Amino acid sequence: MSPARREVTITIDGREVTAVEGEMLHDAARKGDVEIPVFCYEPKLGDPVGACRMCLVEIEGIPKLQTSCSTPVREGMVVHTRTEQVRHAQNAVVEFLLVNHPLDCPVCDKGGECPLQDISYGWGPGKSRVIDEKRHFEKPIELSPLVAIDRERCILCYRCVRFSQEVSEDAQLQLLERGDRTYVGTFDDRPYVAPFHGNITDICPVGALTNYTYRFRARPWDIEHAGSVCTLCPSQCNVSFTVRDEKVKRVITRDNAEVDDGWLCDRGRYGFEMFDAPERVTGPRPKGGAASWEQALDAAAEGLRRAGGKVAAIVGDASNEEGFLLQRLVREALSSPHVDSRPSRGPRREVLARLAEPAISARVRDIDTADAILVLGTDPLHSSPILDLRVRKAIRRSGARLAVATERPTALDGGTEAVFRYAPGGATAFLMGLAGALRDGNEEAPEAGVADVLREAESVVVLWGERIGREDVATVKALLDVAATLGLAGKDGSGLLEIPDTTNARGLREAGCLPDAGPGLAETAAGMATEEIREALIGGELSGLILFGADPLRDFPDTPAWEEALTAADFVVSFSMHENATTAKADVVLPLETHAEKDGTVTHPDGRLQRVRPSASRPGDIRSNIAVLSELASKLGLDTGIDSQPTAFAALTEAVPFYNGISDADIGGRGIRWQDGPSAANLPEPGGAPAAGSPDTQRDSASADPVAGAPHADPRRAASADPGPDAPLTLGTYRDLWAGPITELNPPLKFLTPRQRVEVSPADAERLGLQIGEIVRVSQGGSTVEAQVQIKERVPAGVVFLAEGVADGNANALLNGGPVTVTIERPSEARA
Amino acid sequence: MPHPLEKRVLLEHAEDPALRTLDGYRRLAGGYATMERAYREMEQDEVLKELEDSGLRGRGGAGFAMGKKASFLPRGDMAKYLCCNADESEPGAFKDRELMQRNPHQLIEGIAIAALAADAGHAFIFIRGEYAEQADILDAAVAEAYEAGYLGKDVLGCRRDLELVVHRGAGAYICGEETALLDALEGKRGNPRLKPPFPAVQGLYGGPTLINNVETLSNVPHIVRHGAEWFRGFGTEQSPGTKVVSVSGGVRRPGNYEVELGIPTRELICELAGGPEPGHEIKAFFPGGSSSPVLTAEEGLDLPYSFEAMAEAGSMLGSGSIIVADDRVSIPHLALRTARFYHHESCGKCAPCREGTNWTVKMLERMVRGEATPLDLDIVSSVQQNIIGHCLCVLGDSMAMPVGAMVRKFREEFEAAMENPELALDPHAVVQAPPETLGASA
Repeated sequence: MSPARREVTITIDGREVTAVEGEMLHDAARKGDVEIPVFCYEPKLGDPVGACRMCLVEIEGIPKLQTSCSTPVREGMVVHTRTEQVRHAQNAVVEFLLVNHPLDCPVCDKGGECPLQDISYGWGPGKSRVIDEKRHFEKPIELSPLVAIDRERCILCYRCVRFSQEVSEDAQLQLLERGDRTYVGTFDDRPYVAPFHGNITDICPVGALTNYTYRFRARPWDIEHAGSVCTLCPSQCNVSFTVRDEKVKRVITRDNAEVDDGWLCDRGRYGFEMFDAPERVTGPRPKGGAASWEQALDAAAEGLRRAGGKVAAIVGDASNEEGFLLQRLVREALSSPHVDSRPSRGPRREVLARLAEPAISARVRDIDTADAILVLGTDPLHSSPILDLRVRKAIRRSGARLAVATERPTALDGGTEAVFRYAPGGATAFLMGLAGALRDGNEEAPEAGVADVLREAESVVVLWGERIGREDVATVKALLDVAATLGLAGKDGSGLLEIPDTTNARGLREAGCLPDAGPGLAETAAGMATEEIREALIGGELSGLILFGADPLRDFPDTPAWEEALTAADFVVSFSMHENATTAKADVVLPLETHAEKDGTVTHPDGRLQRVRPSASRPGDIRSNIAVLSELASKLGLDTGIDSQPTAFAALTEAVPFYNGISDADIGGRGIRWQDGPSAANLPEPGGAPAAGSPDTQRDSASADPVAGAPHADPRRAASADPGPDAPLTLGTYRDLWAGPITELNPPLKFLTPRQRVEVSPADAERLGLQIGEIVRVSQGGSTVEAQVQIKERVPAGVVFLAEGVADGNANALLNGGPVTVTIERPSEARA
Repeated sequence: MPHPLEKRVLLEHAEDPALRTLDGYRRLAGGYATMERAYREMEQDEVLKELEDSGLRGRGGAGFAMGKKASFLPRGDMAKYLCCNADESEPGAFKDRELMQRNPHQLIEGIAIAALAADAGHAFIFIRGEYAEQADILDAAVAEAYEAGYLGKDVLGCRRDLELVVHRGAGAYICGEETALLDALEGKRGNPRLKPPFPAVQGLYGGPTLINNVETLSNVPHIVRHGAEWFRGFGTEQSPGTKVVSVSGGVRRPGNYEVELGIPTRELICELAGGPEPGHEIKAFFPGGSSSPVLTAEEGLDLPYSFEAMAEAGSMLGSGSIIVADDRVSIPHLALRTARFYHHESCGKCAPCREGTNWTVKMLERMVRGEATPLDLDIVSSVQQNIIGHCLCVLGDSMAMPVGAMVRKFREEFEAAMENPELALDPHAVVQAPPETLGASA
């Protein structure tokens, strides 16, 4: 961590400006309300390059003009930005930039929101002296299926290329040729396909890079910008919706360094067309056809009432207010304790309360300054993409040391100093080993490499995946033990940061959507957790189910069991954005708002409450989710007193002790971490060991033998020495970035729809005689999925990986709650 | 026999092919004795002081004091580098080629001694890709030097390592710009970097780096051998030493001539290089390569050939390459030829150079086609002014200064060319017929 930097006073155009020593002159000038025009300068992209020459200024004592983007301020510096000499330079640079620019503003999408246009008006000579032919390219052409490039408009500012090279590090964009023949492109004109590539359209200062999803859809004077939060993944990036005629036409970034650093992934950017997909549930739909809201809610209330107290609710994607209302509905109106918001198992209340302690929590921003980062049991690229960029930034710009400990190879492996690959189900053993290696310094321990990275670091951020908690009741405790060994609680800028499985996991837990905790993680009557609910539905102990933004048949482990449970249930109410296999089995389907439509708050994994604001109109007969839940509660005899977001938010902040006193104004446009709010001290004490007879949401036997049934003697080690021909293959699964409705229901993203691939190690491929690209059947018990073989060097022998959530061959069909081994065979062999 | 007006130090024994070999270099020039003395008996600061006292100015173009540059490198235990800039690509310059071809060990010895002054453990010679023959010669010489223990681990048993790599460029003029050279050496696109930080502080792979021209480094053994005072005995107060000058263009004996700096320019051009062909006169000349503003014969022939005299006359000595234009040369064509070179070689990173060179070429092309008006001449001049001082590196200025000078000094000729382009036909352009014509006649 760098010590606080000194303040200096400089003079710009006669005004005194206070700046921070070392800050670039361009940024300091802004503080004095002096705008210096720039094209290439963009601090998000890293060090300045000084290529466009637009920001030349005069500094007393230096004979030549200097680029203000790259000149750090010094005490007493006297700067002029409006002298004749500077004006001459600015006119010259604008004129040069326009020598080859087509000036086709009237037909250019960027017109009206174009830095080149603005700067030409503000700082240009105002007339053109160029009569010579300009350069020509075929235009526009596909840079990618999502981004069009018009090379004639390009002013070669380098921004997009720097993004590709130094931010997303996909290194696909290059400058080809040189001089005025230079153009932006890819090797061999291959399409630029990378998960963050849409950002280049945000940073392009001209109309050279435009989104196919937005071309000719609107002009800047037709649109409104609506600031909100993307809830397509737990990153909860801040976005601005471009709205025309009450429809979302575009999603652009709304820089928030505390959350997203000003970048967006392509899911968040291009995922908006599914708001209007034909599969969208646009009105209430009881079984048997459309009905009015009155009829549908009556039917839902009637069905739930009939189930008596034998009703449970599972929440997936929901706002804090929605989760809060739903748990009240279940607990108070239906007198049932069975509420959960997790797709599988997870830690108990007291463990969650310990995890929530502010001292042990890391902020997103802490990644920037961490000396060491441990990525544990998650691949940020797939689970919280924007954090992948954040980790890369920490390594590239601040020299952070990275260790990765996961089952499956991650996108970040290339930047690591230590990689630990444990077998699926081996996170607990790894963490125990790591704590030991940290304590005794044993260089022989398999975990020593990771321990070495973490031990010396002054600040450590651990990014850990919620799914390690599925493994065992002891896993997260082992993580807390590692945190204690590292002394994270006492170190500034250190802590744990969870990457959850669902988009608002933290908010829903804190709003009370847990089987053993009410709002504010308060102790409550014991209820069943997700998997127990499933078994109880099958067993008949439960008969009614409310699903809110959850699609168990797609997203939850053990699809066959869920099929059985949904069939066995007497009455299922499914709140869903789109029609899917689950809604097909529901008795009443009720529509959900998208994050462009709803009004509410969400809580980021680092505790930041953020506001999702209604930006677009709701299609069809969709109503506010809050109003629907409130009305359903009242039909069930519960008057919540809630009818809108403000009343719901007030009730939520009152019910959650550590949210007390947080107002909408505190959240504002940037959000507020409750840890920095007025009531952070109200976090409940974790309490000791759970009282006898308290509910256990996990397999109890597991704590004795964390990976009972695992195929290898040492679960920390994936590779086995000499596997026989019939050695079992352990199945690991992961959620692919592109699996699910995001690609299936968004026409522009359809080309990214992943097909199921079984990733095998070269050794296993050879042993089984598998060829890349062939289709095989992967089976476990009675379940089988088809997948295409992919041989990956970095997959350890003895393990195979399949993706969850894909349309065909979903790995969830093979999971059964415990460690799973699979067999692989060719379809022909299977038939024989 | 060298001409009496020459003063050969770097090119001494240059005619003897044996000089290329280690044995020949030792025998003819007492080679590597100075390096051995420096490594065995001298401290870093002594070598540095000798170089600083000598006043040796960089021979690559900028003329910055070499010893001073070396003294900018921070002290301390870190990876430091020395790069020899052998990317000689400027039209008119061919002196480094001669030095490397005839006396490669002189350069290697210079690098070894400069590495001591800079405390660098790794050195590179970045050689222009087209200099394949010279690169082969250097490779052979470097191998000999490794064999003899002048390079490698524990050089001469003095507990100092020096690795030397000959790296062939891919043929871009811009890679002669020192920071572009570093990027190219690192395997990146050869584009200039923003300065500061200067290479002496943060250069190759982020380490402090000393970058010097071939001729500059070739001077080092002589300075350390004979002392700064001896070196200052040649040349002028501000331009000490000898200089290998490439003379080309409209002269009868083009070639490299090593002279004391400060020699009358007329002697260089008219005596050593033989002057213009009979019946012709010198119209103008570039005193320091194609990037130096041209001087008319009246302005320049009687100036002493030194850094300070050329600067005072509004031009520069640059790399010391004289290109002579006799009275047959059309200045508008010469301006176009010059601008085309820089347009072709501009890397495109910064706008004034990328667009300025392109625009200038287009305007000059119109002029020699007779499709321009005197107003365009004002625009050409103004565009050159708009380039100068606004670019990321000096490439843009390198076109703007000579082209600007030509328009200013020969305005009538440009105006005449616009009126009547046939009058301005460039004889050299006629010689270079388009390829299809050649093919048809063959």
